[in-house]
Amino acid sequence: MANLWKNPIANWGVKEEVDNAPTIPWTSPIKPWIETVKAKQKLYKVGRLRYYYKFPGHGARTWHRWRYPFTRRRILNIRGEYNAKSLRREKTILDRRPVYWVLSFLAMLMAPLFMPVSFESTLLNAGAVFFIYAAINLCWTLVIGTAGIFSLASMAIVGAGAYGAAYLSLTHGLPWWSLPMVGSVIGLVFGILIALPATRLEGFYYALLTLGLVELCRVYVIQSRTFGSATGGVYGADSYLPDGISELSELTISYYVCFVVMLVVLFMFRFIQGKRLGRILRMAPEKREAFAEATGVNYRWARIQVFIITSVVLGALGGVYASHFHGASPSLFSMDAVLLGLAMLVIGGIGRSEGAVFGTLVVVIIDKVFIEWGPLRLILIGLIMLLVVLFLKGGVFGIKQQFRAWRNKKKSENRSTRAEKGGEMLPEEATETHDKDQIFMRRFDKMQRDYLKTLVTEEIIEEHKRSPLGQHSEPLERLLTYFRRQPQSDKYAIVAIELYKSYRIIAMSGQRGVPPRVVEDKIYTSETEAYHAVFMRRVQDLLES
Amino acid sequence: MAFNGGSAVSERREILNINGLSAGWGPMRVIHDLDLVVYAGERIGIVGLNGHGKSTLFSAIAGMTDWQRGSIKLNGKEVGGTRSQGPGRYTHLVVRQGLALMPQGDEIFTGLTVEEHLDSGAFTPAAWRDRKARKEKILEIFPPLRKLMSTPVGRLSGGERRMVSLGRGLMSDASLLLVDEPSLGLAPKIGKGVMKALMEIQLGNSAMIIAEQNMALLEGQVDRVIGMHVGKLKGEASTSLAHESRREV
Amino acid sequence: MDIDIGFVAITAVTLACIYGTLAIGVSITWSSLGLINMSYGFTFATSGYGAWLVSEYISSSGPVVILGGILTGALVGVLVCAVAFIPIHDKPNFTVRGLIASLALSLIGTQALLYFFGPQSKTLPPLFGDWELELGEVVLTADKGGAILTSILMLTLALWWMRSSRRGLEIRAMMMNPHAASLVGIGVRRTGFYVMALTGGLAGLASVLLSQTYFVSPFSGVTPLIKGLSVALCGGLGSVGGAMIAAVMIGVNEALTADILGGQYILITQFLLIILVLIIRPRGIAGILDKQREA
Repeated sequence: MANLWKNPIANWGVKEEVDNAPTIPWTSPIKPWIETVKAKQKLYKVGRLRYYYKFPGHGARTWHRWRYPFTRRRILNIRGEYNAKSLRREKTILDRRPVYWVLSFLAMLMAPLFMPVSFESTLLNAGAVFFIYAAINLCWTLVIGTAGIFSLASMAIVGAGAYGAAYLSLTHGLPWWSLPMVGSVIGLVFGILIALPATRLEGFYYALLTLGLVELCRVYVIQSRTFGSATGGVYGADSYLPDGISELSELTISYYVCFVVMLVVLFMFRFIQGKRLGRILRMAPEKREAFAEATGVNYRWARIQVFIITSVVLGALGGVYASHFHGASPSLFSMDAVLLGLAMLVIGGIGRSEGAVFGTLVVVIIDKVFIEWGPLRLILIGLIMLLVVLFLKGGVFGIKQQFRAWRNKKKSENRSTRAEKGGEMLPEEATETHDKDQIFMRRFDKMQRDYLKTLVTEEIIEEHKRSPLGQHSEPLERLLTYFRRQPQSDKYAIVAIELYKSYRIIAMSGQRGVPPRVVEDKIYTSETEAYHAVFMRRVQDLLES
Repeated sequence: MAFNGGSAVSERREILNINGLSAGWGPMRVIHDLDLVVYAGERIGIVGLNGHGKSTLFSAIAGMTDWQRGSIKLNGKEVGGTRSQGPGRYTHLVVRQGLALMPQGDEIFTGLTVEEHLDSGAFTPAAWRDRKARKEKILEIFPPLRKLMSTPVGRLSGGERRMVSLGRGLMSDASLLLVDEPSLGLAPKIGKGVMKALMEIQLGNSAMIIAEQNMALLEGQVDRVIGMHVGKLKGEASTSLAHESRREV
Repeated sequence: MDIDIGFVAITAVTLACIYGTLAIGVSITWSSLGLINMSYGFTFATSGYGAWLVSEYISSSGPVVILGGILTGALVGVLVCAVAFIPIHDKPNFTVRGLIASLALSLIGTQALLYFFGPQSKTLPPLFGDWELELGEVVLTADKGGAILTSILMLTLALWWMRSSRRGLEIRAMMMNPHAASLVGIGVRRTGFYVMALTGGLAGLASVLLSQTYFVSPFSGVTPLIKGLSVALCGGLGSVGGAMIAAVMIGVNEALTADILGGQYILITQFLLIILVLIIRPRGIAGILDKQREA
């Protein structure tokens, strides 16, 4: 390289100083720094805070919390806190689901007022069906999701209750208010019968068995003369509607009656899911049963309990069904009924009440409102169900959670694949380091070494060999300063075995009382030679780091 | 740098070339930016403590980790790259490139007989046609299997299972044999026997990597030993040298 | 009460053969892919229609129609695999999601069949000619004899293929240890297609054979699905031998019940039998342990 370094002290006439020396062109030390801090990969923001609306506080007044009557349970989970910046009192609703529930109840209550006149009867009818099916699905989701019993026989229990109630009402003239009770007794018997094999069988054996039971019921009902094989069902059960009112008010009354039924079942859901039974079952999800058992949870008994309670409720719903539809038909036991019910559960997400209700809403709207589509609407429902199952882990209401999990996975993947070579701290190491300055120091050190590596050239080494001590060109001076600045441990030194005759390279231990160690056997005859050997070693270490 | 182990092979063909490999499970990174070159005819030992990434390295080569990144060239063909899902989805394709992984613990098909089990290792059409001769070869390496050919594998003892598992890997024309802890869970004597059989296999144009916690089992038998520490390869030596340094310590 | 033993025996054997064909399909699918294929009924119905189309437009000779049914079944099996197995087989909760996905597929499929072919049922031409064989007092009619022979032949062929070929070895290996299977160069997805084509073909065969007595209609698949599933369940999911024994048991039971009590009690006695078996042996006659799949 043609660049020439002019020795500033050459004019002073110092002995053994050269006038000038060949050197390399100057490069800016900032370049490697820019190179180091430049992100090579797309960076994602790590740890975004969740957004909550902050309600203003109210000064010194005592805070009144709404509670469920006769309990200590709060209706809304509100956290009060001081804002660290403004030092003002703030309130945050941590769980906003009760608010949404109340809003949707209001919407359901008001819905009949806003229905278009031409569709009113269709919509009211669909609404009533929606409430009944939502109630059934709430029970079912409790069995499949909470209790973890993969039973497909829920519709069969409803059907049995409906058939029994309708039959008894028809033959013995039972009034409408006794039908749910009759149904619940039938449900209890059926529930116990179906729960028996559940104590022995596991997951899918049980699913297939219950599917078989549904088919068994269907074939029996179709062929049995007492249950109207000729008329296609049992009809003529006592209805809860008073006589002699217009069709529209009949529909409106049944809409609100079914709404109340759904509310009652929602309360039951909450009662099981939110209390001891639900907690026990949430401790024993699938494949963790052994662990739950080891901690003393009798999950088997809890499952059976839930199953029997829901069977009773399902039977009662069968009674409601019989009195709502004035009877029962074999379509309750058909494969399509099971499939549609499962579609409702799956679309909303198994195991959550909002999922069961929302899924029912979607399916009922498609099934009952767009009747003129014919078989296409079942195909549409099937498609929605298929897509939800293929792409969503927990139905529509699981999207948020699934997205968060996916984002977290991507974040940690990106963080851990950002590998930097050469002494910089790895991300895992960095998070565990207490002194965060160390991270910066290491990075700075790496940058320096990257820069200094570019300075190591033949010219520099030649220059050092010529005169290890004294004034040097700028790049060499930078190198030597860096070497001198290194910590004591493993720093090279020269020991004179015999002055002016033999020298040797040693390495300091860096610890008081621990002697230095000999690095190599080679003996240098002059001080200059030894100095240069140390320099070469350090250059070697630098290039290797 | 690399010890010239393949004295029988004149040209040093690269079997495996790993460059900048990082891999891990979930949010945890186990392998940190690892480079490794393996030449034909070499027998390499990887020594490291429990949990320092030996098995993860093998899994990453076979594409069975949760995620991985970095280049892995097997016989000159890229089998690595960046992948963040589907662990094991492409393993069979990697295996078909000439990899035989004998994993830790015995991944065996319990219901198949020993003979069928060995057959299952012959997945290329050529190997399938030639399976009788190959089985004979494996029986020469592991003579105790000869009597057990029609026994279901599920009934074998631990040592016999290990032999079956190793034999299955030898059935194909694998150019890279990865053996993960061959002596794990076996009685010391049987473990040594298995190790001896492994050492006697003629490598020819292929290479073998053995992961082991116990350095003493590898001593003086493999061409070079590489230490593995916290997901990085640390230090590398021919076995004689490693032997010496052990004595010094 | 006089029972026509010969008639009962022949009916039992016929039913056992057909149910065995169905159940072995269900069993193999479950144990090798971990998928409970609920769209088996849809496969069944579709291959009936496939056979009908073949007999209408190509040729109504027996073997061609049977072949048409089997091919349609295999095609539908491949379709089911592509939709309900490939996208989710390595995702969490695969078993439940696979079950639901195949149920959804069967919902879509049967409704599509209803949409395209209408609700009337179709009949297939007699496939095995019109002959009778008298074995002592027992008369073996053409459809039953043909069904027995064909299903035994096809089952033997399928099982022999599973025993001796490389593909069969792959399927069996994947049944035992899917993780190790990938280490010997067996691709889960590709093997999935083989398995589903094979079991779909078996369903197609059973469909054509059963159509000799029943009709082809969009919903004709439900009962065979339930029967096949319950036989597989009774025999223990995943066991070919168990499925055979269970098929014989169920076949005998069905023939006996139909003869003694009457047709509408068939399902009741059958389920009592199955529940009895399952309560005594919760994993069926020769059920394998689920632990093998978890490993």
